[in-house]
Amino acid sequence: MLYRSLTDCIAQTMDIYLCLKRPSWMVASKRMRTASNFQWLLSIFILLYLMNQVNSQKKEGPHDLKCVTNNLQVWDCSWKAPSGTSRGTNYEVCIENRSHSCYRLEKTNIKIPALSHGDYEIIINSLHDFGSSTSKFTLNEKNVSLIPDTPEILNLSADFSTSTLYLKWNDRGSVFPHHSNVIWEIKVLRKGSMELVKLVTHNTTLNGKDTLHHWSWASDMPLECAIHFVEIRCRIDSLHFSGRKEWSDWSPVKNISWTPDSQTKVFPQDKVILVGSDITFCCVSQEKVLSALIGHTNCPLIHLDGESVAIKIHNISVSASSGTNVVFTTEDNIFGTVVFAGYPPDTPQQLDCETHDLKEIICSWNPGRSTGLVGPRATIYTLYESFSGKYVRYKRDEAPTNESYQLFFQMLPNQQIYNFTLNAHNPLGQSESTILVNITEKVYPHTPTSFKVKDINSTAVTLSWHLPGNFAKINLLCQIEIKKSKSVQEQRNVTIKGVENSSYLVALDKLNPYTLYTLRIRCSTEAFWKWSKWSNKKQHLTTEAIPSKGPDTWREWSSDGKNLIIYWKPLPINEANGKILSYNVSCSSDEETQSLSEIPDPQHKAEIRLDKNDYIISVVAKNSVGSSPPSKIASMEIPNDDLEIEQVVGMGKGILLTWHYDPNMTCDYVIKWCNSSRLEPCLMDWRKVPSNSTETVIESDQFRPGVRYNFFLYGCRNQGYQLLRTIIGYVEELAPIVAPNFTVEDTSADSILVKWEDIPVEELRGFLRGYLFYFGKGERDTSKMRVLVSGHSDIKVKNITDMSQKTLRIADLQGKTSYHLVLRAYTDGGMGPEKSMYVVTKENSVGLIIAILIPVAVAVIVGVVTSILCYRKREWIKETFYPDIPNPENCKALQFQKSVCEGSNALKTLEMNPCTPNNVEVLETRSAFPKIEDTEIISPVAERPEDRSDAEPENHVVVSYCPPIIEEEIPNPAADEAGGAAQVIYIDVQSMYQPQAKPEEEQENNPVGGAGYKPQMHLPINSTVEDIAAEEDLDKTVGYRPQANVNTWNLVSPDSPRSIDSNSEIVSFGSPCSINSRQFLIPPKDEDSPKSNGGGWSFTNFFQNKSND
Amino acid sequence: MDSWYPRMAKPWDSWGMLACLCTVLWHLPAVPALNRTGDLGPGPSIQKTYDLTRYLEHQLRSLAGTYLNYLGPPFNEPDFNPPRLGAETLPRATVDLEVWRSLNDKLRLTQNYEAYSHLLCYLRGLNRQAATAELRRSLAHFCTSLQGLLGSIAGVMAALGYPLPQPLPGTEPTWTPGPAHSDFLQKMDDFWLLKELQTWLWRSAKDFNRLKKKMQPPAAAVTLHLGAHGF
Repeated sequence: MLYRSLTDCIAQTMDIYLCLKRPSWMVASKRMRTASNFQWLLSIFILLYLMNQVNSQKKEGPHDLKCVTNNLQVWDCSWKAPSGTSRGTNYEVCIENRSHSCYRLEKTNIKIPALSHGDYEIIINSLHDFGSSTSKFTLNEKNVSLIPDTPEILNLSADFSTSTLYLKWNDRGSVFPHHSNVIWEIKVLRKGSMELVKLVTHNTTLNGKDTLHHWSWASDMPLECAIHFVEIRCRIDSLHFSGRKEWSDWSPVKNISWTPDSQTKVFPQDKVILVGSDITFCCVSQEKVLSALIGHTNCPLIHLDGESVAIKIHNISVSASSGTNVVFTTEDNIFGTVVFAGYPPDTPQQLDCETHDLKEIICSWNPGRSTGLVGPRATIYTLYESFSGKYVRYKRDEAPTNESYQLFFQMLPNQQIYNFTLNAHNPLGQSESTILVNITEKVYPHTPTSFKVKDINSTAVTLSWHLPGNFAKINLLCQIEIKKSKSVQEQRNVTIKGVENSSYLVALDKLNPYTLYTLRIRCSTEAFWKWSKWSNKKQHLTTEAIPSKGPDTWREWSSDGKNLIIYWKPLPINEANGKILSYNVSCSSDEETQSLSEIPDPQHKAEIRLDKNDYIISVVAKNSVGSSPPSKIASMEIPNDDLEIEQVVGMGKGILLTWHYDPNMTCDYVIKWCNSSRLEPCLMDWRKVPSNSTETVIESDQFRPGVRYNFFLYGCRNQGYQLLRTIIGYVEELAPIVAPNFTVEDTSADSILVKWEDIPVEELRGFLRGYLFYFGKGERDTSKMRVLVSGHSDIKVKNITDMSQKTLRIADLQGKTSYHLVLRAYTDGGMGPEKSMYVVTKENSVGLIIAILIPVAVAVIVGVVTSILCYRKREWIKETFYPDIPNPENCKALQFQKSVCEGSNALKTLEMNPCTPNNVEVLETRSAFPKIEDTEIISPVAERPEDRSDAEPENHVVVSYCPPIIEEEIPNPAADEAGGAAQVIYIDVQSMYQPQAKPEEEQENNPVGGAGYKPQMHLPINSTVEDIAAEEDLDKTVGYRPQANVNTWNLVSPDSPRSIDSNSEIVSFGSPCSINSRQFLIPPKDEDSPKSNGGGWSFTNFFQNKSND
Repeated sequence: MDSWYPRMAKPWDSWGMLACLCTVLWHLPAVPALNRTGDLGPGPSIQKTYDLTRYLEHQLRSLAGTYLNYLGPPFNEPDFNPPRLGAETLPRATVDLEVWRSLNDKLRLTQNYEAYSHLLCYLRGLNRQAATAELRRSLAHFCTSLQGLLGSIAGVMAALGYPLPQPLPGTEPTWTPGPAHSDFLQKMDDFWLLKELQTWLWRSAKDFNRLKKKMQPPAAAVTLHLGAHGF
């Protein structure tokens, strides 16, 4: 529009210019030929200027047309008056393209109704004194600005308790024809310096009416702390308007301030906030605030208007029960507030409702996380029942504990289903839990009280108890615990109809008479939820009843056969049914009846003199209620001829007895038993076994191992007992505890007759299975081997399994020899101890004579035969051994130098001196000390044969080589040490000390110690006399002692008695050469010792000792 | 009457001595000076009140420790000494020494009685507000003891023949928790209540000690009197 008017103006100007230009151009063309160019250009410039001046004075009109609207209905257009116009200027405004309306007015603005879409030509004609000017504008809606009226805050209020500002204003929507969106911008400023705190936009819509709008804002700082200002402006976003939409001006500022009284105050007071949030405290003060503390923590001050200060707390932690103190300190005063930081209530957990008595519902729950708030800020719980609309409220002032919370809700008549909502709420929030319960299914009865037991009869009682509650509409399920003894326990469930008066009664039957019961009861409902607690225990003794059975009875004839002894067993408690006071015994036959009555209880035996008639004995037990049925037994014994005594061995605690089924036995079998060592009639116990059984295991605590018991099996038929079997047995066999007592009945040169006695049954401790008889050469008090090792060549063993054999002849013995005899008995339980004896056989004179005569005869015969042979072969012998030597004197050929031959010995022929052979074999001679062996000194050949033949005929190999070596070393101890390299080599030491054939063994009898079985291989080594002597000798040498066991060393000496080491049969020499050689090589220091002299330690010496021994 | 028994005593006769001793013991209740035990005046009750005051001082130390910890910092700090802001209604124990000296026994006892009546009332209010059960128990126990002290003072006053002060109707101190009193001011009041209690107990101890000393001379005279007769 404006553009249009402008072009019009330019067009007009051009027209004027052209009008002016035409004559000047014509003039110029006339003068071109006469005037210069410069003049021409100057004149054109001046002309143009003048024309412009004239034109401007004639043509300038209104300009800068600008239109705005604040309600979209009226446009307010204004323009600028042309310059030079005075007051009295009138304007004629015509709007084209409309119904050509023109307005005449004196102002430079006009309000026109809003134009519809499209361009409009606006012609403004200004009429003034010196003429008129006209301007044309093209006006379109797009060129119009929509600027709403400045809004006005109707009301600004504050809620100081919540630090909230409330703003109220009117949107003046009635002036707008259309629905439009309005954008409001609200500005909150704080403090006198108007610091911007908040700038928000708020959208509303205009709905054609004046509408009040509200806006609230919660300040982070208490509103009391500082003055707060609020401004507002708006912009209308109308869809029907295509022009510019601009912000309105800001509304006039409104403020909120707290008028402090004279007292200094701290804000906020007593506020409850969520843990972890931020909070600002301020102190409105006229005095200078020095410091601020929250708890123990000092906070930096934020200065507000005047002397007021604030502190900002970030992420506040949970408060103590009395809250967190915030304290501001001034010069001479302190001000403070308390803040309570906590949590909103947790959702109640494990909400559950039950009833004890169907009168009151108890709902319990766990509060969950602690809120940290107590007292007036503690959580309030409300239990709301939605069907009835009733509720109960619960508040706990105390600091929370871990225990669950409970609320009691009175039950409503005729309502079973309850829908509970538990609401928890505190200043910081609320939460809730719900539960739907059928309360008859949630009955947890109280503990039954007043529990009583009353007798009905001996097997039944009534139980009564009190169970508070109104259970009239449901059935109760009660459990009765019946404890008979410490271990026997029974539980019975009873269902009873619930009653209103809380008293219950039930009968309990199937009890045992005269039994002490411990009873207690607990209850639940049929729709089981929980058992009540057990009632108190009640002990009750049921009344007595007559004994249910007669006592178990047996009878025995006394040893003289005149009296019948009747035995019976006490009735077990379950059959006695009371305290047995006495027994009645009666014996009846066809002819007579004898009875013994009122035999007091502890007595379980009666003796009645009876003849040998058949009697029926009956025994009756009596208690305070009555008598038992009689138990009967016949006195008759049916003889049995073919009885054998059998043996049986039990298994551990009991003995198994078996027998064949006998259809004749119509009544019970009876097994009685007793200790076999007791005198008759002996009865330990008996047992009755039904007639159809064929075996039984007899067990008794009285059975002991190693004790012999007699068992008697009786069969019963025709009311008489027949002894079927007699059995002796052991529950467990043991080894005999004594050795058999034996004697030597007869001794000859080559045999011994031994006789022994039986071992008494008590000491046998098992069935005798045989004897072991050992015999071998041996002497008393010698250190020979004491172990009877079966299999040892020298020891002979005889196993005598024939129990009837009581003697034994040992033949093929040597005469005048000491024999060691040992006898021991054995059972399946083991070997008994041994008993030994030494016997010397008689001298065999015939043998001796023969032994002398035979060698003599042999010698004579040999001599005779040799003589005969020599005689018969004398020529040959002579020729061979003593040939005739010609006499040289008779030899003429050799008859020279006769004088020489006769006078000089040097010319003699070889002189045949006898040559002594040397038996010493020196394998290495020592160069340092060459020694000429004096073979005569040692002459082992001369000595050894005697020894060897005497004691060790089989050991003949190399012994002879050792002594010379030893003999050689001993006399030269100093040389030995000096030489150092002396080596003595024993040839085949092991073979030299080969274990010898079993030497005579010494066996000590140890009858006391050998109570049980003893391993024959393990017997103690007994030092012999030689050992002791050697040890003594060794003790006398003070110097170096061999580290090897001297005993071991001694043991290896060829003549020492052979000992069996427990570890090795053949004594092993670790390094025999070195030990022995060292022992010998070092001279004894004690010169006085008689044994230390040379040769004292030689083997020969041992041999000598041996021979001396 | 009290001059014949020395003559009866014969030191050389042991039976006589025994008889004399028995007689003395028999007649002991009849000695007028000793027979005043039932009518000894306010002396023993003053002593008891004094002892109770000391006991309460001890008890308060324990209670104050617990309670100030419950109030939290800075109330439980040893050097915390706030100005007395809101606790104007609490009876003040501090008084100028000269003023105190110028008070007579009756006035002192009356002030004590009135102070403890008020303090007890406030203390009961404190008990109702306490958040923990343990604190409530401690406070209840202390209240009971303080009630006992009040009774003792009343007893002393009665013994001395002073009338008990009658509370004016409508001036009964009441505990008014509510918005008027912020939690912080309430804590300050609690603090001051405990502090005043402490000062009052200290002052009472002093008062009763003084009173006790004042009441002692007649009893000493009795002892002196007995001693003159050969005891």
